[in-house]
Amino acid sequence: MTVSGSALAMLGSGHALAQAQQGRLQINPTEFQPIPIAITNFLPGSPSDGDVGNGVTQVITNNLKRSGLFAPIDQAAFIERINNIDVAPQFQNWKTINAQALVTGRMTRQPDGRLKAEFRLWDVVSGQQLAGQQYFTSPEYWRRIAHIISDQIYERMTGEKGYFDSRVVFVDETGAKERRVKRLAMMDQDGANVRYLTRGSDLVLTPRFSPNSQEITYMEFGQGDPRVYLFNIETGQREIVGNFPGMTFAPRFSPDGQRVIMSLQQGGNSNLFVMDLRSRSTTRLTDTPAIDTSPSYSPDGTRICFESDRGGRSQIYVMAAGGGQAQRISFSKDDTNATYSTPVWSPRGDYIAFTRQGGGQFSIGVMKPDGSGERLLTSGYHNEGPTFSPNGRVVMFFRDPGGNSGPSLFSVDISGRNELKVPTPGFASDPAWSPLLSATPG
Amino acid sequence: MNVKVDKTLVASIALHVLVLGWGLVTFSSKAFIAPEESLPIDIISTDQLAQITAGQKTGKKEEPKPKVEKISDAPPDEDAVGKVTTKKELIKTTSTPEPPPKPAEKPVEKKPEPPKPVAEAKPKEEPKPEEKKPDPAKEDPIAELQKKLETKKPPPKPPQPKVAAVQPQQQPKPKERTFDPAQIQRDLDKRDPTRHELTGSALNASASLGSTTGKAVTNVATWQGAFMSAVRRCFTPTYNGQDADQYEVDIDVSMKIDGSLASEPVVVAARGPSRSIAQAVAESGKRAIVQCQLYSFLPKQQYDTWKTIPMRFGLKDML
Repeated sequence: MTVSGSALAMLGSGHALAQAQQGRLQINPTEFQPIPIAITNFLPGSPSDGDVGNGVTQVITNNLKRSGLFAPIDQAAFIERINNIDVAPQFQNWKTINAQALVTGRMTRQPDGRLKAEFRLWDVVSGQQLAGQQYFTSPEYWRRIAHIISDQIYERMTGEKGYFDSRVVFVDETGAKERRVKRLAMMDQDGANVRYLTRGSDLVLTPRFSPNSQEITYMEFGQGDPRVYLFNIETGQREIVGNFPGMTFAPRFSPDGQRVIMSLQQGGNSNLFVMDLRSRSTTRLTDTPAIDTSPSYSPDGTRICFESDRGGRSQIYVMAAGGGQAQRISFSKDDTNATYSTPVWSPRGDYIAFTRQGGGQFSIGVMKPDGSGERLLTSGYHNEGPTFSPNGRVVMFFRDPGGNSGPSLFSVDISGRNELKVPTPGFASDPAWSPLLSATPG
Repeated sequence: MNVKVDKTLVASIALHVLVLGWGLVTFSSKAFIAPEESLPIDIISTDQLAQITAGQKTGKKEEPKPKVEKISDAPPDEDAVGKVTTKKELIKTTSTPEPPPKPAEKPVEKKPEPPKPVAEAKPKEEPKPEEKKPDPAKEDPIAELQKKLETKKPPPKPPQPKVAAVQPQQQPKPKERTFDPAQIQRDLDKRDPTRHELTGSALNASASLGSTTGKAVTNVATWQGAFMSAVRRCFTPTYNGQDADQYEVDIDVSMKIDGSLASEPVVVAARGPSRSIAQAVAESGKRAIVQCQLYSFLPKQQYDTWKTIPMRFGLKDML
């Protein structure tokens, strides 16, 4: 179904106006409920394609379930067995098990060795096909195909862009606590396909993706002062960003990927600088006798949020991207001693996520860019380093339980619900979510 | 070997077995319990109850009339004489009546009329013989003549009253009571018991001001609440962004009297910053309406009020 132009035009008709005047029964839910969805096994185009078909089904099911917005129905409850995806299913069989949507698909290996993936998304209630696509790829990228199909389903059912076809870069931690080895690592957002980008000889911190997901900027403690580096994922090459006399840290790309904003330590203070990657020219943005750090651009690139202790304690400020007057936006209502740090602007622009320390706990929260609507998503001994999913719907962070244990990655919906542990090979910290790798066709 | 059996013991055992067996058979049978039909209920506040039982503000402030379902036959012609006689005795009372409550006064549409001329023909006013006597102070030739005649005729009887009923002399003498079972049998009402319609001079089906059921008939809050709860159960929107309050979808639902949908719900309007999100909300609303039917709890007698249900799905409270 589509909200056709004619339907919208009806609003102006006398009928619609009359209805509007009558008063309508208002349905305003207070929280989202997961959509019951049936995901059938992708049929194999040939007997040898069975495993990949089941694999794709598992990845899609796992993605949708972990999002919290879908409730995949156990296949044991299915009444109908799909034998041909080109024939409309018997919708009554799927209504009976309370499915609102149904996914069918097929994986077929082509004569040229490529893999063809087809899927259909059905609205069980109306009996309409909501989406239907086919993709060709190399067999080793079957997981990526599954993520792309997941995004298609997510977007068609919710109206929002998906986030499954994305990656996370993080700091992998191994070894004893006193001799912890920290390596830069990258994986799919669901924890699969882990790749290590550095060898662990040097300490690495705060990795951040570039908008095209091809580069990473991070801080590394090498022989001299800690420096900000650029790392090309495809080529493995790295280079120092700028040539500053002091320590540089907390780098982040601008939304257009043409600049890197970071902190430069000078004496006991640190200020914000931005460097143009093409001209290599640098511009000072702040000049205060305080510590200004952790800058993050708004998605339109016009503003910057950052943390500063210029008021005595670490708080979050917002200012224009070119510098100037900064406005403090973090004000704790229940704890005047609370501090705010590591701000990051949501890709959809509506929230700024942060780490809040107060009352002996570290919390992850979000607030509007004007500082209102503060909402803590999780609290505990040590939670830190929030990063947004590409669609701004989910926040990932790391949690350290203390003691001899180590940190792990978690994700949570911006409503504070659906907190999940993200699987990693070992301890993990400092996550950074990439943009969507492929723009899903609308 | 002979075994001596106590006959009383055997009889006792046999009797116990019989009684217990009878009890097992009798009490083990399950009583038939008619399956109860579940009814949708809606919890309402005291304010809503007051709203339901409140009278109509626009109701006529008239004298409440007794409930009437049928117009009665025309009342019989007034028997003026009998009526006045009876009522006059009741109204003439020396005790001061307490002021009755206002509504009680209103049914009395007519105040007692003053005694009609016929009332003068009461026993107390019956003519006395003295009045007929001629005035001795006057010499009336006619009286003189009459006096002469009286000597020839028997004394005149008192004037015949017009109303026989009020003539004590003409009242039948009470008969001696005799027990007659046949008469009792004849007097018994042998008709089947029936509920007779309440009759009156005019039909009165409308609610009056302050009636305890004043707006109950027109109340739609109950079915609306139940309907919204049912639809909300299947409504699964997912968007909870900061601009969620800007999304609204209007859907018209046509219903059959059995509580099923007469046709597919119609999206009248879908508003919101993102067209794709508004479309998802509209689809979710349609799915909820279709999936959660049958709405058999909707009151059939109020079908006119829910034949078409205009609905609005919004996300303003989403978090």
